[in-house]
Amino acid sequence: MSTRDNILASLRETLRQPDLPFPLLDSPPLTQAERMTVTSASGGLWAQAERFAQEIAAVKGTCELLETETEARLAIVSRLQIWVEEEQAARKTADAERAEDWDVLCWPPAQLHVEGLTHILKETGFKLIEPTDLHDPEQRERIRPVRAGVTSVEAAFASTGSFVVGAGGANARAASLTPFRHLVVVPFSRLFATAEDWLAEMRYAGGLDAYIRRSRNISIVTGPSKSADLEGNLTLGVHGPKVVHAILFDDVQE
Amino acid sequence: MHKATFERRPERVALFVTCMVDMLYPNVGIAACELLEKNGIQVSFPEEQTCCGQPAFNAGYRNEARKLARRFISIFGPLVDSGEIDAIVAPSGSCATMTSHFYEVIFQESNEPDLTIQAQRLAAVTFELTEFLVDVLGLVSTGAQLQGKAAYHPCCHLYRELGVDEQPRKLLAGVEGLELVELPHADDCCGFGGLFAIKNSGISAAMGRAKARYAQQSGADAVVLCDVSCMTHINGILSREGVDCRAQHIAEILNDQCGSNLRPPTDPTPTPADHPRRWGDVA
Amino acid sequence: MQVDIHAPYKDRIRQALGDPNLRVAVSKATDRMDNARNASMDEIEGERLRSQLRQMKQNVLRNWPDYLQELETNLRQNGCVVHWAEGIEDAQAIVKDIALQNSAKLVVKAKSMATEEIHLNHAMEEAGLRVVETDLGEYIIQLADEPPSHIVAPVIHKRMEEIAEVFQEKLDMPVTRDPTKMTSLARARLRKEFFAADIGISGCNFAIAETGTICIVTNEGNGRMVSSMPRVYVAVMGIEKLVPTVEDAFLQLQALCRSATGQQFTVYCSMTSGPRRKGDVDGPEQVHVVLLDNGRTRMFARGYGEALMCIRCGACLNACPVYQEIGGHAYGSTYNGPIGAVITPALAPEITQFKELPHATSLCGACREACPVKIDLPRLLLDLRSDLVQQGASPTTEALGIKSYSALMSSRRMYESLGKLASIGSNVYAGMSGGNIKFMPPPLNGWTAYRDFAPFARKSFRDWWKERSKKRQRA
Repeated sequence: MSTRDNILASLRETLRQPDLPFPLLDSPPLTQAERMTVTSASGGLWAQAERFAQEIAAVKGTCELLETETEARLAIVSRLQIWVEEEQAARKTADAERAEDWDVLCWPPAQLHVEGLTHILKETGFKLIEPTDLHDPEQRERIRPVRAGVTSVEAAFASTGSFVVGAGGANARAASLTPFRHLVVVPFSRLFATAEDWLAEMRYAGGLDAYIRRSRNISIVTGPSKSADLEGNLTLGVHGPKVVHAILFDDVQE
Repeated sequence: MHKATFERRPERVALFVTCMVDMLYPNVGIAACELLEKNGIQVSFPEEQTCCGQPAFNAGYRNEARKLARRFISIFGPLVDSGEIDAIVAPSGSCATMTSHFYEVIFQESNEPDLTIQAQRLAAVTFELTEFLVDVLGLVSTGAQLQGKAAYHPCCHLYRELGVDEQPRKLLAGVEGLELVELPHADDCCGFGGLFAIKNSGISAAMGRAKARYAQQSGADAVVLCDVSCMTHINGILSREGVDCRAQHIAEILNDQCGSNLRPPTDPTPTPADHPRRWGDVA
Repeated sequence: MQVDIHAPYKDRIRQALGDPNLRVAVSKATDRMDNARNASMDEIEGERLRSQLRQMKQNVLRNWPDYLQELETNLRQNGCVVHWAEGIEDAQAIVKDIALQNSAKLVVKAKSMATEEIHLNHAMEEAGLRVVETDLGEYIIQLADEPPSHIVAPVIHKRMEEIAEVFQEKLDMPVTRDPTKMTSLARARLRKEFFAADIGISGCNFAIAETGTICIVTNEGNGRMVSSMPRVYVAVMGIEKLVPTVEDAFLQLQALCRSATGQQFTVYCSMTSGPRRKGDVDGPEQVHVVLLDNGRTRMFARGYGEALMCIRCGACLNACPVYQEIGGHAYGSTYNGPIGAVITPALAPEITQFKELPHATSLCGACREACPVKIDLPRLLLDLRSDLVQQGASPTTEALGIKSYSALMSSRRMYESLGKLASIGSNVYAGMSGGNIKFMPPPLNGWTAYRDFAPFARKSFRDWWKERSKKRQRA
């Protein structure tokens, strides 16, 4: 018999033992109806957006809430400009200007839910890096020095300040991972009170399991990368971004 | 564990005094007995009782533990079954845990359904002293009077196996003149653990020293608790380390109506070499 | 003094207790994590979460082989390669083989207890590969050539100055104790490795059966790195780390984060359902999942299934007063603390191989109170002690002692005589040492090495009772 068959046979054999102390014979699954929602966030979308802001601040992220897509577009550009200035100021050396400062590792603009973003970014001097194959050594090298990444989200959870980034197709995982700073664009239509609300909606629509499989990878992100391994001292930006800034905007306009 | 509810106020109680109280700390047993009697309980003491078997059980010797468990059940079982007593009360969370939690476990294991049922029946009417005073008799105060500062240490079995915590705290709060102070890290184990104190004496003592440090920090004259085994350990450490504080069983505190001082003014500061207090002595 | 995990038990304990830095570092960190856990469970319906998680995990074990097969089928459908490993050698061979087939030279690893269990780093290095641990704490102990001492905080036993020394010595870091500078240095070093690595290896916090998804949880982002950057990604998972559905995964994830560090969510939870497909910008081209038994089926058959619900949050370590005194290395095993004291012997070919561990606990129950799955760890430790006795693994003197004690206690007459004898003897003896007893002969010298002992009462409770009864009769 193969190792696989041995393992499965052994488990079945054990489960047949009449006086097995554990698990009990009657061990029903946790049903959808009884499963609890761990956290909660009340109120309408704006109240939830405010809650998101509060929660992401608690984990050392930052956030802006905006009323329209137009404002969001401007906010994205000015945030990226501020970051360029910060990067240059931090270096304090003669070569304060680096061409890479204006690089932005980006999801395809169509995925960012903000019209005309590509245009305005290019206009203001940013260079959008949109790799096609990050196992290609040249493209891989190209993203290494990039300090800023821009992505949108699959969903965001108000009660915990978390967001979900999917992967696949032209949406690079690297955009929310390798740069020092991550700007995340969250339209209100993607904002949910809790993780469980999002799951329920997906499940109800009949696509949760298919979505999870199809994604190859999703990451739930809650704040900037951090560690407490150095005798409990909190340090940020260990491997992932040190700065996470969320721009939420009302695309629902009830 | 299912606890009995009494239709009428229980009147007759058998004291399961525990072997350590019997031989080392009779004052605790006397205090427990008097506390019950003062509250209108008729106390009996089945003299056949010895040890409940906990040391054997804890060390993994279940056959030996079962031997003593059978004996215990044969002594207390008929008293309960005949209605001669309404409840069994022990001035120890740990020994009450053994008889009311683990007897069932060991008889289930040995596949003795009759004894399992008997163990369950006894468990339903077995109470730790403060649990009985508060939950069954509905006491809020024992009318005790005492001067000094006390910190409460929840012993592990009492707190985590029996779930008894509010009861002793409530009764202590009702002691006139007693100032209750917070024991830092109160619910950390004192390190006793039965055979653990001998087998892993280094670790056990390190835990005990941590408890002694917290006792000192609390500024209490006495650490009050509901188990003489933990008391023996904490006092053994306090005495060895020369910390001017001691552990005392709650029964003695609750039964004191003389307004006596927890820290007698005549006591010189104890030193490791010459500890003036022999906490095991009968007064 | 550093703890040598290969030294005999007694020596390890002595070394641990003799290291004042260890206690400071460990107790500070465990207190912090324990308080954070308590606070975050109080924020929500913590009790309900624990009950629901327990119900879910118990159902997994009841239907364990079915869920495993469901997971396997779905992983394969997603394009992952599934391997089954019975023990340490097979598991090592499987991973080495993957490396060989891909002509790999450099491996980046995210912190994983399953790979510690199979001593994977050592095996890979012997096969000529370079292995780099990427969790900051794990990186530090790899540099210091030590095993992790805590399930979620591997370098918990080291203080800042000790960590700085490691960085100075191994990475030529200029003298500093600034955590930010040290983190930047590690980031820069490890970034190079992530970009150059051929294989990423991680454990698996849990796998979702219905979708065939491997989930790993990190705060630093190294979990995402190892599962995204290299061409080949290998996840080694214990076969018990299953959840049935996506919703169950989120329930466990939240319980795990809150119990481990008191966070609502860790910074990253990376859920991988398969390799990169045509048109994807990044992601691994191969995803391998190694399903590791290594004693789990044995432990299940032995009746210790309850501990297979463990989600490896480390809450029991943080709550444990013994762990606080001795840290992790003193246990001498991959898993330490209360859960380690249970599963180390229970997983081993013979439980007697680790006969000290079930006794390295005062059975205080703080672990059970902290456990998000409410595993009755004290009870399992007691069961192990009983099994050890049945297998004749306890010292003869102890067995004799317990047997004669139980014989003595079985007779009221002998019990009373013993009491009298002890009272007279101990009082005479105590009188000589001026109050309390300061020395007793072996094995009781274990007591008096650190503590005094009060002599037996001159008059027992039963003496008092008899006298009183007589008086009352006369009256």
